Amino acid sequence: MKYRNQQLREALASEYALGTLQGRARRRFERSLKDDPQLRALVNRWQDRLAPLDAVGQPVHPPARVWRRVQEQLQTGRRRRGLWSNLPFWRTVGLASVAGALALAVSLATLSPARHGAETMVVVMSDAEANPAMTVSWPMQPRGQPRLRVRVMGHPEMASGTAWELWLLPGGEHKPVSLGLIGTEPMQELTVPRSLVPMMDGAYGLAMSVEPAGGSPTGQPTGPVLYKGQCIPL
Amino acid sequence: MCCGAKAATRSAPAERWHPPEPHPLLVADNDAIAELMARCALRDQHAFARLYRLTSAKLYGVAIRILRREDWAEEVLQESFVNIWNHIAEYSATRSAPMTWMTAIVRNRALDWLRRPNLERGNEDYDLLVESLPDQGPGPDLVLGHSRDAAALAECLRQLSGDQRQTIMLAYAHGLSHGELAQHLKQPLGTVKTWIRRGLERLKGCMDGRS
Repeated sequence: MKYRNQQLREALASEYALGTLQGRARRRFERSLKDDPQLRALVNRWQDRLAPLDAVGQPVHPPARVWRRVQEQLQTGRRRRGLWSNLPFWRTVGLASVAGALALAVSLATLSPARHGAETMVVVMSDAEANPAMTVSWPMQPRGQPRLRVRVMGHPEMASGTAWELWLLPGGEHKPVSLGLIGTEPMQELTVPRSLVPMMDGAYGLAMSVEPAGGSPTGQPTGPVLYKGQCIPL
Repeated sequence: MCCGAKAATRSAPAERWHPPEPHPLLVADNDAIAELMARCALRDQHAFARLYRLTSAKLYGVAIRILRREDWAEEVLQESFVNIWNHIAEYSATRSAPMTWMTAIVRNRALDWLRRPNLERGNEDYDLLVESLPDQGPGPDLVLGHSRDAAALAECLRQLSGDQRQTIMLAYAHGLSHGELAQHLKQPLGTVKTWIRRGLERLKGCMDGRS
Protein backbone atom coordinates (compact mmCIF):
# COMPACT_ATOMS: atom_id res chain seq x y z
CA MET A 1 0.00 0.00 0.00
CA LYS A 2 1.20 3.48 -0.81
CA TYR A 3 0.66 6.39 1.51
CA ARG A 4 0.29 9.35 -0.86
CA ASN A 5 -1.01 12.03 1.45
CA GLN A 6 2.06 13.89 2.75
CA GLN A 7 0.41 14.82 6.05
CA LEU A 8 -0.57 11.20 6.62
CA ARG A 9 2.94 10.03 5.77
CA GLU A 10 4.42 12.46 8.26
CA ALA A 11 1.93 11.47 10.97
CA LEU A 12 2.53 7.74 10.45
CA ALA A 13 6.32 8.18 10.41
CA SER A 14 6.20 10.15 13.66
CA GLU A 15 3.99 7.65 15.47
CA TYR A 16 6.09 4.76 14.14
CA ALA A 17 9.22 6.36 15.59
CA LEU A 18 7.41 7.17 18.82
CA GLY A 19 6.19 3.57 19.09
CA THR A 20 2.45 4.20 19.14
CA LEU A 21 1.75 2.93 15.62
CA GLN A 22 0.70 -0.61 16.30
CA GLY A 23 -0.81 -3.87 15.18
CA ARG A 24 -1.80 -4.22 11.54
CA ALA A 25 -1.15 -0.54 10.83
CA ARG A 26 2.43 -0.95 12.05
CA ARG A 27 3.03 -4.08 9.95
CA ARG A 28 1.52 -2.43 6.87
CA PHE A 29 3.67 0.62 7.43
CA GLU A 30 6.80 -1.53 7.75
CA ARG A 31 6.00 -3.21 4.45
CA SER A 32 5.74 0.20 2.80
CA LEU A 33 9.06 1.25 4.29
CA LYS A 34 10.82 -1.50 2.35
CA ASP A 35 10.31 0.12 -1.05
CA ASP A 36 9.74 3.74 -0.15
CA PRO A 37 13.09 5.41 0.61
CA GLN A 38 11.44 8.79 1.16
CA LEU A 39 9.21 7.29 3.83
CA ARG A 40 12.31 5.73 5.42
CA ALA A 41 13.93 9.15 5.41
CA LEU A 42 10.91 10.60 7.24
CA VAL A 43 11.20 7.87 9.87
CA ASN A 44 14.96 8.42 10.23
CA ARG A 45 14.39 12.10 10.71
CA TRP A 46 11.88 11.42 13.47
CA GLN A 47 14.22 8.93 15.12
CA ASP A 48 16.89 11.63 15.12
CA ARG A 49 14.49 14.18 16.59
CA LEU A 50 13.44 11.89 19.45
CA ALA A 51 16.86 10.27 20.06
CA PRO A 52 17.89 12.67 22.86
CA LEU A 53 15.09 11.13 24.93
CA ASP A 54 17.25 7.99 25.16
CA ALA A 55 19.52 9.92 27.51
CA VAL A 56 16.78 10.04 30.13
CA GLY A 57 17.11 6.37 31.08
CA GLN A 58 19.91 4.71 33.00
CA PRO A 59 22.15 2.14 31.31
CA VAL A 60 21.73 -1.38 32.72
CA HIS A 61 24.44 -3.98 32.26
CA PRO A 62 23.01 -7.12 30.67
CA PRO A 63 24.03 -10.54 32.04
CA ALA A 64 27.08 -12.08 30.38
CA ARG A 65 24.97 -14.86 28.86
CA VAL A 66 23.47 -12.42 26.35
CA TRP A 67 26.80 -11.86 24.62
CA ARG A 68 27.50 -15.59 24.63
CA ARG A 69 24.13 -16.26 22.97
CA VAL A 70 24.70 -13.57 20.36
CA GLN A 71 27.92 -15.31 19.39
CA GLU A 72 26.31 -18.75 19.42
CA GLN A 73 23.48 -17.55 17.23
CA LEU A 74 25.88 -15.95 14.78
CA GLN A 75 28.01 -19.08 14.59
CA THR A 76 25.22 -21.63 14.40
CA GLY A 77 22.32 -19.57 13.07
CA ARG A 78 20.31 -21.34 10.43
CA ARG A 79 19.83 -18.29 8.29
CA ARG A 80 23.52 -17.79 7.68
CA ARG A 81 26.58 -19.96 7.44
CA GLY A 82 28.97 -19.92 10.35
CA LEU A 83 31.46 -17.10 10.49
CA TRP A 84 34.21 -19.63 10.27
CA SER A 85 33.34 -20.65 6.77
CA ASN A 86 32.31 -17.17 5.76
CA LEU A 87 34.42 -15.77 2.97
CA PRO A 88 33.82 -12.05 3.69
CA PHE A 89 35.21 -12.73 7.17
CA TRP A 90 38.55 -13.46 5.53
CA ARG A 91 38.48 -10.39 3.36
CA THR A 92 39.43 -8.35 6.39
CA VAL A 93 42.94 -9.68 5.94
CA GLY A 94 43.84 -6.80 3.72
CA LEU A 95 46.49 -6.00 1.20
CA ALA A 96 48.82 -4.50 3.80
CA SER A 97 49.20 -7.84 5.48
CA VAL A 98 49.90 -9.64 2.22
CA ALA A 99 53.03 -7.60 1.62
CA GLY A 100 54.04 -8.03 5.22
CA ALA A 101 53.26 -11.71 5.10
CA LEU A 102 55.52 -12.34 2.15
CA ALA A 103 58.43 -10.43 3.64
CA LEU A 104 58.07 -12.18 6.97
CA ALA A 105 57.45 -15.56 5.46
CA VAL A 106 60.62 -15.38 3.40
CA SER A 107 62.73 -14.34 6.36
CA LEU A 108 61.17 -17.02 8.53
CA ALA A 109 61.68 -19.71 5.96
CA THR A 110 65.36 -18.89 5.65
CA LEU A 111 65.68 -18.86 9.43
CA SER A 112 63.83 -22.13 9.94
CA PRO A 113 66.06 -25.12 10.53
CA ALA A 114 64.03 -27.09 8.04
CA ARG A 115 65.37 -30.43 6.86
CA HIS A 116 66.60 -30.56 3.33
CA GLY A 117 63.68 -31.00 0.95
CA ALA A 118 61.04 -30.52 3.63
CA GLU A 119 58.62 -27.66 3.41
CA THR A 120 57.68 -25.28 6.16
CA MET A 121 54.17 -24.00 6.71
CA VAL A 122 54.09 -20.34 7.65
CA VAL A 123 51.11 -18.39 8.91
CA VAL A 124 51.32 -14.64 9.36
CA MET A 125 48.46 -13.70 11.61
CA SER A 126 47.10 -10.16 11.43
CA ASP A 127 44.99 -8.05 13.74
CA ALA A 128 41.73 -6.29 12.87
CA GLU A 129 43.61 -3.49 11.10
CA ALA A 130 45.42 -6.07 8.97
CA ASN A 131 48.73 -5.42 10.74
CA PRO A 132 50.84 -8.56 11.17
CA ALA A 133 50.78 -9.39 14.89
CA MET A 134 52.03 -12.94 15.18
CA THR A 135 53.61 -15.67 13.08
CA VAL A 136 53.27 -19.42 13.48
CA SER A 137 55.34 -21.92 11.53
CA TRP A 138 55.88 -25.66 11.55
CA PRO A 139 57.71 -28.23 9.45
CA MET A 140 55.39 -30.13 7.14
CA GLN A 141 55.41 -33.92 7.35
CA PRO A 142 57.36 -33.97 10.60
CA ARG A 143 58.89 -37.24 11.87
CA GLY A 144 57.76 -36.83 15.45
CA GLN A 145 55.26 -34.67 17.21
CA PRO A 146 54.91 -31.37 15.34
CA ARG A 147 56.30 -28.38 17.21
CA LEU A 148 54.85 -25.01 16.34
CA ARG A 149 57.12 -22.00 16.52
CA VAL A 150 55.07 -19.05 17.67
CA ARG A 151 56.47 -15.56 17.42
CA VAL A 152 54.44 -12.71 18.92
CA MET A 153 55.25 -9.23 17.66
CA GLY A 154 54.99 -6.01 19.62
CA HIS A 155 54.11 -6.31 23.28
CA PRO A 156 50.41 -7.15 23.41
CA GLU A 157 48.61 -7.37 26.73
CA MET A 158 46.32 -10.18 27.73
CA ALA A 159 43.38 -9.14 29.92
CA SER A 160 43.42 -10.81 33.33
CA GLY A 161 41.10 -13.80 33.62
CA THR A 162 41.39 -14.52 29.92
CA ALA A 163 43.47 -16.87 27.78
CA TRP A 164 44.59 -16.84 24.17
CA GLU A 165 43.65 -19.97 22.28
CA LEU A 166 45.10 -20.90 18.92
CA TRP A 167 42.77 -22.55 16.41
CA LEU A 168 43.49 -24.54 13.29
CA LEU A 169 40.97 -23.77 10.55
CA PRO A 170 40.80 -26.87 8.38
CA GLY A 171 38.88 -25.09 5.64
CA GLY A 172 35.53 -25.76 4.01
CA GLU A 173 32.77 -26.47 6.45
CA HIS A 174 35.03 -28.10 9.04
CA LYS A 175 34.97 -26.61 12.50
CA PRO A 176 38.07 -25.03 14.05
CA VAL A 177 40.35 -27.40 15.99
CA SER A 178 42.11 -26.19 19.13
CA LEU A 179 45.89 -26.21 19.02
CA GLY A 180 46.20 -25.07 22.62
CA LEU A 181 46.81 -21.93 24.65
CA ILE A 182 49.59 -19.48 23.96
CA GLY A 183 51.08 -16.57 25.90
CA THR A 184 52.29 -13.11 24.98
CA GLU A 185 56.04 -13.90 25.05
CA PRO A 186 57.89 -13.07 21.81
CA MET A 187 59.18 -16.62 21.20
CA GLN A 188 57.18 -19.71 22.09
CA GLU A 189 56.90 -23.35 21.11
CA LEU A 190 53.75 -25.40 21.12
CA THR A 191 53.69 -29.18 20.76
CA VAL A 192 50.54 -30.61 19.24
CA PRO A 193 49.31 -34.21 18.97
CA ARG A 194 50.66 -36.20 16.05
CA SER A 195 47.11 -37.08 15.03
CA LEU A 196 46.63 -33.51 13.89
CA VAL A 197 49.44 -33.65 11.29
CA PRO A 198 47.33 -34.51 8.22
CA MET A 199 44.92 -31.73 9.10
CA MET A 200 47.68 -29.20 9.77
CA ASP A 201 49.46 -29.72 6.48
CA GLY A 202 46.23 -29.14 4.57
CA ALA A 203 44.89 -26.38 6.76
CA TYR A 204 43.44 -23.18 5.41
CA GLY A 205 44.51 -20.89 8.22
CA LEU A 206 44.86 -20.16 11.91
CA ALA A 207 42.95 -17.92 14.26
CA MET A 208 43.59 -16.79 17.82
CA SER A 209 40.62 -16.05 20.04
CA VAL A 210 40.22 -14.58 23.52
CA GLU A 211 38.77 -17.21 25.85
CA PRO A 212 38.07 -17.61 29.55
CA ALA A 213 41.13 -18.55 31.64
CA GLY A 214 41.88 -22.21 30.95
CA GLY A 215 40.59 -22.07 27.40
CA SER A 216 37.29 -22.40 25.60
CA PRO A 217 34.79 -24.40 27.65
CA THR A 218 32.97 -25.59 24.54
CA GLY A 219 35.85 -26.81 22.39
CA GLN A 220 35.00 -24.09 19.88
CA PRO A 221 35.98 -20.43 19.84
CA THR A 222 33.64 -18.42 22.06
CA GLY A 223 35.39 -15.05 22.34
CA PRO A 224 36.48 -12.42 19.84
CA VAL A 225 39.14 -13.35 17.30
CA LEU A 226 42.16 -11.07 17.73
CA TYR A 227 44.46 -12.41 15.05
CA LYS A 228 44.01 -14.60 12.02
CA GLY A 229 45.94 -15.57 8.91
CA GLN A 230 46.20 -18.01 6.04
CA CYS A 231 48.64 -20.91 5.76
CA ILE A 232 51.44 -20.51 3.22
CA PRO A 233 53.63 -23.53 2.43
CA LEU A 234 57.21 -22.53 1.67
CA MET B 1 13.24 -1.01 37.70
CA CYS B 2 10.29 -3.22 38.43
CA CYS B 3 10.18 -6.81 37.42
CA GLY B 4 7.27 -8.08 39.45
CA ALA B 5 6.09 -11.57 40.16
CA LYS B 6 6.33 -12.54 36.52
CA ALA B 7 9.97 -11.64 36.18
CA ALA B 8 12.47 -14.14 34.86
CA THR B 9 12.22 -17.48 36.58
CA ARG B 10 14.55 -19.32 34.25
CA SER B 11 17.62 -20.28 36.22
CA ALA B 12 20.72 -18.65 34.90
CA PRO B 13 23.55 -20.93 33.79
CA ALA B 14 26.85 -20.43 35.55
CA GLU B 15 28.42 -17.24 34.26
CA ARG B 16 31.66 -17.44 32.36
CA TRP B 17 33.97 -14.85 30.99
CA HIS B 18 32.33 -11.78 29.60
CA PRO B 19 33.71 -8.64 28.03
CA PRO B 20 35.11 -6.13 30.52
CA GLU B 21 32.98 -3.15 31.48
CA PRO B 22 33.26 -0.22 29.12
CA HIS B 23 34.71 3.06 30.23
CA PRO B 24 31.73 5.38 30.79
CA LEU B 25 33.29 8.16 28.77
CA LEU B 26 33.48 5.92 25.76
CA VAL B 27 29.82 4.99 25.83
CA ALA B 28 28.75 8.34 24.47
CA ASP B 29 31.50 8.56 21.87
CA ASN B 30 29.62 8.35 18.59
CA ASP B 31 32.80 8.61 16.52
CA ALA B 32 34.36 5.57 18.17
CA ILE B 33 31.12 3.67 17.70
CA ALA B 34 30.87 4.71 14.06
CA GLU B 35 34.40 3.48 13.46
CA LEU B 36 33.67 0.14 15.09
CA MET B 37 30.53 -0.20 12.98
CA ALA B 38 32.53 0.43 9.82
CA ARG B 39 34.87 -2.38 10.82
CA CYS B 40 31.93 -4.65 11.62
CA ALA B 41 30.67 -4.04 8.10
CA LEU B 42 33.96 -5.62 6.98
CA ARG B 43 33.08 -8.60 9.19
CA ASP B 44 35.56 -7.79 11.94
CA GLN B 45 34.48 -9.86 14.94
CA HIS B 46 36.88 -8.10 17.26
CA ALA B 47 35.24 -4.77 16.45
CA PHE B 48 31.82 -6.34 17.03
CA ALA B 49 32.87 -7.49 20.51
CA ARG B 50 34.03 -3.95 21.31
CA LEU B 51 30.82 -2.48 19.89
CA TYR B 52 28.88 -4.77 22.22
CA ARG B 53 30.98 -3.75 25.21
CA LEU B 54 30.45 -0.07 24.49
CA THR B 55 26.75 -0.06 23.73
CA SER B 56 25.01 -3.06 25.33
CA ALA B 57 24.29 -1.42 28.70
CA LYS B 58 22.61 1.55 27.10
CA LEU B 59 20.60 -0.62 24.71
CA TYR B 60 19.65 -3.10 27.45
CA GLY B 61 18.37 -0.13 29.47
CA VAL B 62 16.15 0.87 26.54
CA ALA B 63 14.79 -2.68 26.19
CA ILE B 64 14.13 -3.13 29.88
CA ARG B 65 12.27 0.18 30.17
CA ILE B 66 9.92 -0.88 27.38
CA LEU B 67 9.54 -4.56 28.27
CA ARG B 68 9.88 -4.40 32.07
CA ARG B 69 10.84 -8.08 32.16
CA GLU B 70 14.48 -9.02 32.24
CA ASP B 71 14.05 -12.32 30.40
CA TRP B 72 12.25 -10.59 27.52
CA ALA B 73 14.77 -7.77 27.46
CA GLU B 74 17.63 -10.29 27.23
CA GLU B 75 15.99 -12.02 24.28
CA VAL B 76 15.35 -8.72 22.53
CA LEU B 77 18.91 -7.53 23.12
CA GLN B 78 20.28 -10.79 21.73
CA GLU B 79 18.10 -10.62 18.61
CA SER B 80 18.97 -6.97 18.16
CA PHE B 81 22.73 -7.56 18.18
CA VAL B 82 22.39 -10.44 15.73
CA ASN B 83 20.36 -8.03 13.59
CA ILE B 84 22.93 -5.28 13.98
CA TRP B 85 25.71 -7.61 12.81
CA ASN B 86 23.68 -8.87 9.87
CA HIS B 87 22.46 -5.47 8.70
CA ILE B 88 25.34 -3.22 9.65
CA ALA B 89 26.23 -2.59 6.02
CA GLU B 90 22.87 -0.83 5.63
CA TYR B 91 23.63 1.63 8.40
CA SER B 92 25.42 4.24 6.31
CA ALA B 93 22.31 4.81 4.21
CA THR B 94 20.38 6.18 7.19
CA ARG B 95 22.69 9.13 7.96
CA SER B 96 21.56 8.87 11.58
CA ALA B 97 23.96 8.83 14.51
CA PRO B 98 25.15 5.27 15.14
CA MET B 99 23.52 5.03 18.57
CA THR B 100 20.25 6.28 17.10
CA TRP B 101 20.35 3.55 14.48
CA MET B 102 21.10 0.81 17.01
CA THR B 103 18.55 2.15 19.48
CA ALA B 104 15.88 2.12 16.75
CA ILE B 105 16.61 -1.57 16.13
CA VAL B 106 16.24 -2.38 19.82
CA ARG B 107 13.10 -0.27 20.18
CA ASN B 108 11.43 -1.87 17.16
CA ARG B 109 12.31 -5.37 18.36
CA ALA B 110 10.98 -4.60 21.81
CA LEU B 111 7.75 -3.12 20.44
CA ASP B 112 7.28 -6.09 18.10
CA TRP B 113 7.83 -8.39 21.05
CA LEU B 114 5.17 -6.60 23.11
CA ARG B 115 2.61 -6.65 20.34
CA ARG B 116 2.89 -10.35 19.60
CA PRO B 117 -0.51 -11.98 19.49
CA ASN B 118 -1.35 -13.89 22.69
CA LEU B 119 1.10 -11.82 24.66
CA GLU B 120 -0.26 -9.19 26.93
CA ARG B 121 1.28 -7.53 29.87
CA GLY B 122 -1.26 -8.83 32.39
CA ASN B 123 -3.08 -6.79 34.99
CA GLU B 124 -0.49 -7.49 37.67
CA ASP B 125 2.15 -6.18 35.33
CA TYR B 126 -0.03 -3.23 34.53
CA ASP B 127 -0.42 -2.31 38.20
CA LEU B 128 3.33 -2.49 38.69
CA LEU B 129 3.75 -0.43 35.58
CA VAL B 130 1.45 2.30 36.81
CA GLU B 131 3.30 2.45 40.12
CA SER B 132 6.62 2.71 38.35
CA LEU B 133 5.67 5.51 36.00
CA PRO B 134 6.24 9.12 36.92
CA ASP B 135 3.03 11.06 37.55
CA GLN B 136 4.38 14.21 36.07
CA GLY B 137 5.84 14.84 32.69
CA PRO B 138 9.27 16.38 32.59
CA GLY B 139 9.39 19.80 34.12
CA PRO B 140 11.00 22.91 32.74
CA ASP B 141 14.36 21.71 34.05
CA LEU B 142 14.34 18.75 31.68
CA VAL B 143 17.92 17.89 30.73
CA LEU B 144 18.42 15.59 27.80
CA GLY B 145 22.09 16.09 27.19
CA HIS B 146 24.44 18.77 26.05
CA SER B 147 24.29 18.43 22.30
CA ARG B 148 22.50 20.97 20.12
CA ASP B 149 19.88 18.39 19.10
CA ALA B 150 19.16 17.60 22.73
CA ALA B 151 18.83 21.26 23.64
CA ALA B 152 16.45 21.81 20.73
CA LEU B 153 14.28 18.84 21.71
CA ALA B 154 14.18 19.88 25.36
CA GLU B 155 13.23 23.45 24.43
CA CYS B 156 10.53 22.29 22.00
CA LEU B 157 9.11 19.79 24.50
CA ARG B 158 8.76 22.68 26.96
CA GLN B 159 6.58 24.51 24.46
CA LEU B 160 4.05 21.66 24.32
CA SER B 161 1.11 21.46 26.69
CA GLY B 162 1.79 19.31 29.76
CA ASP B 163 -0.59 16.62 28.50
CA GLN B 164 1.06 16.47 25.10
CA ARG B 165 4.53 16.34 26.62
CA GLN B 166 3.65 13.66 29.16
CA THR B 167 1.97 11.32 26.66
CA ILE B 168 4.87 11.62 24.21
CA MET B 169 7.49 10.99 26.91
CA LEU B 170 5.58 8.01 28.33
CA ALA B 171 4.95 6.49 24.92
CA TYR B 172 8.60 6.78 23.89
CA ALA B 173 10.33 5.70 27.08
CA HIS B 174 7.98 2.86 28.06
CA GLY B 175 6.53 1.73 24.75
CA LEU B 176 2.96 2.35 25.88
CA SER B 177 0.19 1.91 23.35
CA HIS B 178 -2.61 4.44 22.89
CA GLY B 179 -4.82 2.15 24.98
CA GLU B 180 -2.30 1.81 27.80
CA LEU B 181 -1.74 5.54 27.83
CA ALA B 182 -5.49 6.17 28.03
CA GLN B 183 -5.80 3.72 30.92
CA HIS B 184 -2.82 5.15 32.77
CA LEU B 185 -3.84 8.77 32.31
CA LYS B 186 -7.55 7.98 32.86
CA GLN B 187 -8.54 9.75 29.68
CA PRO B 188 -10.66 8.74 26.68
CA LEU B 189 -8.70 7.03 23.90
CA GLY B 190 -9.53 9.75 21.38
CA THR B 191 -8.20 12.45 23.69
CA VAL B 192 -4.88 10.66 24.11
CA LYS B 193 -4.56 10.12 20.37
CA THR B 194 -5.16 13.81 19.76
CA TRP B 195 -2.58 14.86 22.37
CA ILE B 196 0.00 12.70 20.68
CA ARG B 197 -0.81 13.74 17.13
CA ARG B 198 -0.92 17.46 17.89
CA GLY B 199 2.09 17.22 20.17
CA LEU B 200 4.18 15.57 17.47
CA GLU B 201 3.07 18.14 14.89
CA ARG B 202 4.05 21.01 17.18
CA LEU B 203 7.33 19.31 18.02
CA LYS B 204 8.23 19.03 14.35
CA GLY B 205 7.25 22.62 13.65
CA CYS B 206 9.33 23.86 16.57
CA MET B 207 12.39 21.73 15.81
CA ASP B 208 12.37 22.46 12.09
CA GLY B 209 12.12 26.16 12.92
CA ARG B 210 15.25 25.95 15.05
CA SER B 211 17.46 24.06 12.63
